[in-house]
Amino acid sequence: MAEQVKTLSPIREDLRASRILLRAGWRAAMSYRISFLSAILGGMVLQGTQLLFIGVLLAKFNVIDGWRLNDIAFLFGMRLAAHAFYVVPFGALLSIDQAIQQGDVDRYLLRPAGTYLQVITRYAPLMALGDALLGFGAVAVFAPQASVDWTPGKVVFLIAALVGGGLVETGMQTFLAGLSFRMTSTMSLRILADDTITRFSGYPLTMFSRWGFLSLTFIFPMAFIAYLPATVLLGRTDDLPIPAWLAYLSPAGGPVVFAIGLVFFNRMIRSYTSPGS
Amino acid sequence: MPVDTLSTRLTGLRGFYRAGYQSVLAYRADLLFGIVGLVIQATLTVVVWRVLFTGHDQVAGIGSATAVAYAVLAACLQAVVMPWQFSSLPLRVMRGQIGVDMIRPRSLISQNLAQAGGTMVGRLPLGAAGLVTGLALGAVKAPHSVLDLLVSVVSMALGVANILTINLLVSMTAFWTLEIGGIMILYRFGSAFLSGALIPLWFMPEWLQPIISWLPFQAQIYAPLSIWFGTRHGADLVGTLALQLAWVMVLFLLLQLVWRRAVHRVVVLGG
Repeated sequence: MAEQVKTLSPIREDLRASRILLRAGWRAAMSYRISFLSAILGGMVLQGTQLLFIGVLLAKFNVIDGWRLNDIAFLFGMRLAAHAFYVVPFGALLSIDQAIQQGDVDRYLLRPAGTYLQVITRYAPLMALGDALLGFGAVAVFAPQASVDWTPGKVVFLIAALVGGGLVETGMQTFLAGLSFRMTSTMSLRILADDTITRFSGYPLTMFSRWGFLSLTFIFPMAFIAYLPATVLLGRTDDLPIPAWLAYLSPAGGPVVFAIGLVFFNRMIRSYTSPGS
Repeated sequence: MPVDTLSTRLTGLRGFYRAGYQSVLAYRADLLFGIVGLVIQATLTVVVWRVLFTGHDQVAGIGSATAVAYAVLAACLQAVVMPWQFSSLPLRVMRGQIGVDMIRPRSLISQNLAQAGGTMVGRLPLGAAGLVTGLALGAVKAPHSVLDLLVSVVSMALGVANILTINLLVSMTAFWTLEIGGIMILYRFGSAFLSGALIPLWFMPEWLQPIISWLPFQAQIYAPLSIWFGTRHGADLVGTLALQLAWVMVLFLLLQLVWRRAVHRVVVLGG
């Protein structure tokens, strides 16, 4: 058996390990029915408040920065669905501080699977299913109402953008989680990033002035999550102070940001010192 | 034999209060990021509201300056009085430490209220950071009169009493079920929305306003701020304060009732 495992390529080995770990995590989480339902409800409420917020405001104000309710709702839906692509597979990243403080990482380093893989499969983030339900529901409801002439090409672009947007968020959170190997607690920093993305990535980001927009594109790359691909779909790339081709390539931002985050995370593992003796 | 006077009672509770604010100040990095966060979010919030108001002089009778100032002050107030971790009670129930808490010579309710009060005091720097940001952006408005200021401070105190009581009431769910993650989030976001921390009642749909105005949550943030901005006068002003006071009393009574039932449910694991 051991020899058989050895013959597998490292990637296949990681995939096999993740399948086993994921199955165990989700099975553990699903075994409590009530907590299962309440967690899903919690996830929906958490993100739903943002939709409620923007819905109530636009019912009074009609328009924000030239965007009407249907397009803003679509943008918010995109951001929610992209968030699901982060939080369903990678949501356990949130517990990196505990994984380090409780000494779990000691064990991860000994096992024949990547540390990152074991951190993200620590537990199954049930609440994420609520996020996913709401996010995909919102896209399904708002996409037909948005001012987009849907073609098969645009649908493909939308799907690529949602997955890419999820990877952008994952990459940012992975990067910040890497800091946990140096600092005692990065929870508040990661919550700050999450909260800022939750509250503001569903707006037309050019409204935060030129410099605000550029920092949200290149420093804290929140624009890649939903806004940049949305400008392509809605034919609004003229609003951008950056070349339009960058918006067309925005779904590719996901793998790039994720790769940066992961490389940083793995480099930071080297400065890990066990909390025990 | 020690005499149980008010001062000895308060001495006992001071420790919990101190534990509350030290729990905030002990994690310097968390506090620092909290402050940075509020600066960023206050700035972005101001932009969002200003952009919303472009092309409108007034919406629902409210001008841009008031709406922007409301959003900033509400964000500051929310950061101080609505911490993400608002009670250690559920964790203490789960770990069984509640048994030790219950044999202490101060009631569990006052222990928890003192600690939560301390946490709020520890979070004051967050509110201050948001306020300074708002002032720097020219987005904060002072009350019209000294009277409005004084009354809104009284109203804020009632709002804080309201939040402390409801928070503890909700935390007590932990005596009935350990799976309270979903309930807590529902409560957190529900109350943030209904309290007017995100959107003032002025901009809510007409059919929703009367419902929300009778709920306890609007007494937490919306009531004091609507007084601050001078939108309440005479009977309306007195009525607002009276409703706030009534809610605090009702909630406190409810808290006592729930606690009395909870006591009988406590079974500490591991003897």
